[in-house]
Amino acid sequence: MNYQPEDCIVHVVDDDPGLRRSLRFLLDSVGWTVRLHASAEEFLDVAVAPTLPSCLLLDIRMPSMSGLELQQVLRERGIALPILFMTGHADVSMAVQAMKSGAIDFIEKPFNDQKVLDAVAAAIRHSAEALDDEARRRAAQAMLAQFSPREREVAHQVAQGLPNKQIAGNLNISEKTVHIHRQHVMEKAGVSSAAELARLMLRADPAALD
Amino acid sequence: MLSKAFGGDVVIGVFAYQGERAAASDWSPVIRYLNQALPTHHFRLDHYDAAGLRQAIAGNRVDLVITNPGYYVTMEAEFGISRIATLDTEDSDPARALGSVVLARADQPALRELADLAGKRVAAVAPEAFGGYLVAAREMLSQGVDPESDLKEILFVGLPMTRIVEAVDAREVDAGIVRTCLLEQMASQGKIRLDDFRVLSAHQVPDLPCAVSTRLYPNWPIAVTRQTDPALAKAVARALLAMPESAGMSWAVPADYQPVHELFRELRTGPYTYLREITPEGLVRRFWPWLLGLLAILSGWIVHTVRVEHQVHRRTAELRESLAARDQAEAKMRESQEQMEHLSRLSVLGELSGNLAHEINQPLTTIGTYARTVLRRQESGNLTPAAITEASTEIAREAERAGGIVQRIRHFARKREATREAIRLADIAEDARRLIVGMLARAPEVVIENRLKDGCQVLADGAQIQQVLLNLIKNAIDANRDLPADRQNLRILIEPMDSRVAVHVIDQGVGLSAEQLPHLFEPFFTTKPDGLGLGLPICKTIIEAHGGRLWAEPNQDSPGMRFSFSLPCHELSA
Repeated sequence: MNYQPEDCIVHVVDDDPGLRRSLRFLLDSVGWTVRLHASAEEFLDVAVAPTLPSCLLLDIRMPSMSGLELQQVLRERGIALPILFMTGHADVSMAVQAMKSGAIDFIEKPFNDQKVLDAVAAAIRHSAEALDDEARRRAAQAMLAQFSPREREVAHQVAQGLPNKQIAGNLNISEKTVHIHRQHVMEKAGVSSAAELARLMLRADPAALD
Repeated sequence: MLSKAFGGDVVIGVFAYQGERAAASDWSPVIRYLNQALPTHHFRLDHYDAAGLRQAIAGNRVDLVITNPGYYVTMEAEFGISRIATLDTEDSDPARALGSVVLARADQPALRELADLAGKRVAAVAPEAFGGYLVAAREMLSQGVDPESDLKEILFVGLPMTRIVEAVDAREVDAGIVRTCLLEQMASQGKIRLDDFRVLSAHQVPDLPCAVSTRLYPNWPIAVTRQTDPALAKAVARALLAMPESAGMSWAVPADYQPVHELFRELRTGPYTYLREITPEGLVRRFWPWLLGLLAILSGWIVHTVRVEHQVHRRTAELRESLAARDQAEAKMRESQEQMEHLSRLSVLGELSGNLAHEINQPLTTIGTYARTVLRRQESGNLTPAAITEASTEIAREAERAGGIVQRIRHFARKREATREAIRLADIAEDARRLIVGMLARAPEVVIENRLKDGCQVLADGAQIQQVLLNLIKNAIDANRDLPADRQNLRILIEPMDSRVAVHVIDQGVGLSAEQLPHLFEPFFTTKPDGLGLGLPICKTIIEAHGGRLWAEPNQDSPGMRFSFSLPCHELSA
């Protein structure tokens, strides 16, 4: 899917108001939608799982709740948001910790603005891809949800490349019945080959054919 | 909480002279501020009386110590704690903030000066109380009244100090010793009338709104122990110096506590209690059994009278010699202490300049971001008037912030007047050598070779040239610390070079790589794991300000490096 820059949301969490404003001015200039938050707690009050490509620019050191703690809470709540940490020159060990806990990148203060823009663009791209994957998975799941229980059994074996004769034997039904089920499965799933069916099923559930 | 993983409890031991409660309310702003400024650590206060604080320092149970100047100097001598900042209260210079008042009833006409106290009854807080006894005792001693023997009686009544004022008022004693401003405070609370009392030897001090009987001493310091992590000490020092008055309390660069040392020395107490042993009575007490034995020998062996007498002569001479040696050692110690203090103050300034440079970098970066973003917006055609207003406002604000920081640097680094006087490089080198050898536990041997002939005079600021030499020697020692002892030894060579004088600090170490050499004098280049990289650039600035040159090269005929500087020399007209 294609997203306009203004559809994409960059959250900034930092306790320094001057720095927050300068980041908004910078990110706004390339069109991202920017949301500023003065503390981790303030962000948590409004944090939800993203429906549009989003990322979080997060100060690693803040007075009450630190960036690392916020990262932890977001993970516990299942909110998948790419996090870019902003670190001071003496925070290397914290930055390593953050990367180990799944941060996408970190930016050293004082910033190089081009680096900030590049890192945010990469994080947004990452988020958009994750959203697209999720959307495709949902669509595939919706297609497969139309199958009757018997059709699901047949589809599973068709997708594994078994011929009708063998499927009939496995399920203890006639070859003709298998043929009819196969036709229905292909129609409902909107596919024309066993290979396409297999791809659709794997998209809905990567473990479908195990 | 996750952040605990990055730091632990930092304990600040406080000398609680008015009981724990008062101390907690006194120092809580410091704790609040430090916990906010250094969120990876958790700071807390522990309160101790004198004996408890001493045990806590000895047992490593405290990381930082806040105490009065008297107790600080005692703990500095005993455990090597060292101050990182001095309390800076409103209306007084941190270096001249504490003093004492000796008061009497106004209707006692014979009591006007401290010298009038001979034969009187005087109340004080305790024998070890700083403002409540020692400060005034020193002043009495200097006016010819020994508080230990010339008074009719000295009564130690303990805290609170108001008890002393009450005892004077009730004529239980003739005079009392309290801290400055207590009388004025009690008067403003309506507890006494100032007219009822007289302050002995009273004088006014500029900036101090109270009468005072004594000279003034520096305010309370905060100190680190030998075990405190240097990185933590540095962070705390930086944070405290930046603590705004609005946080409830502020701190200044560490004051000079030499006056407190002098006080203890004159009173022969605290770290200088040992001086008492050298009084004539002390000597008699110490050598009494020996003298007795001598008498026995004398009476038993009259034949040997002459020989014994001769022996007595000899022993007395030895005693006198050892006393002189002790005096000399003490003077030397004092001298090197003073010099070390000067050095430590310089190094604090050095550390600060690195920190402030970093601070200044932030507004500069922000300004750059705004400027470049305006250009970027202009290129992409979305530069609105609102955006220009926003960027300009922010740029102005950040510029102001940077200006504020520069102002602070100026404030810290009050410049010393440049002095130029005739110096003897050999003497300066010898002083530097002695200082280094005195400061380091395992100092290598430093040999000084002076090839200068008379007739050439160097005009310079001796202290600055010594700072350069100290830096070069210290660098050489640090760089070669891992080598066998005989290869750590250094040579300082002073020689004429064309029409100039050159000083070389020559080591026998492993030298520097070809990549390192060209960067040696660049600020923030360092080969030491914890170095700031400011030492050599500062040295270079100093030498160049003297019209000289500072350079480094490998030794020609042996391993190791030599760091050299040249200074112009002026021919003496014969």
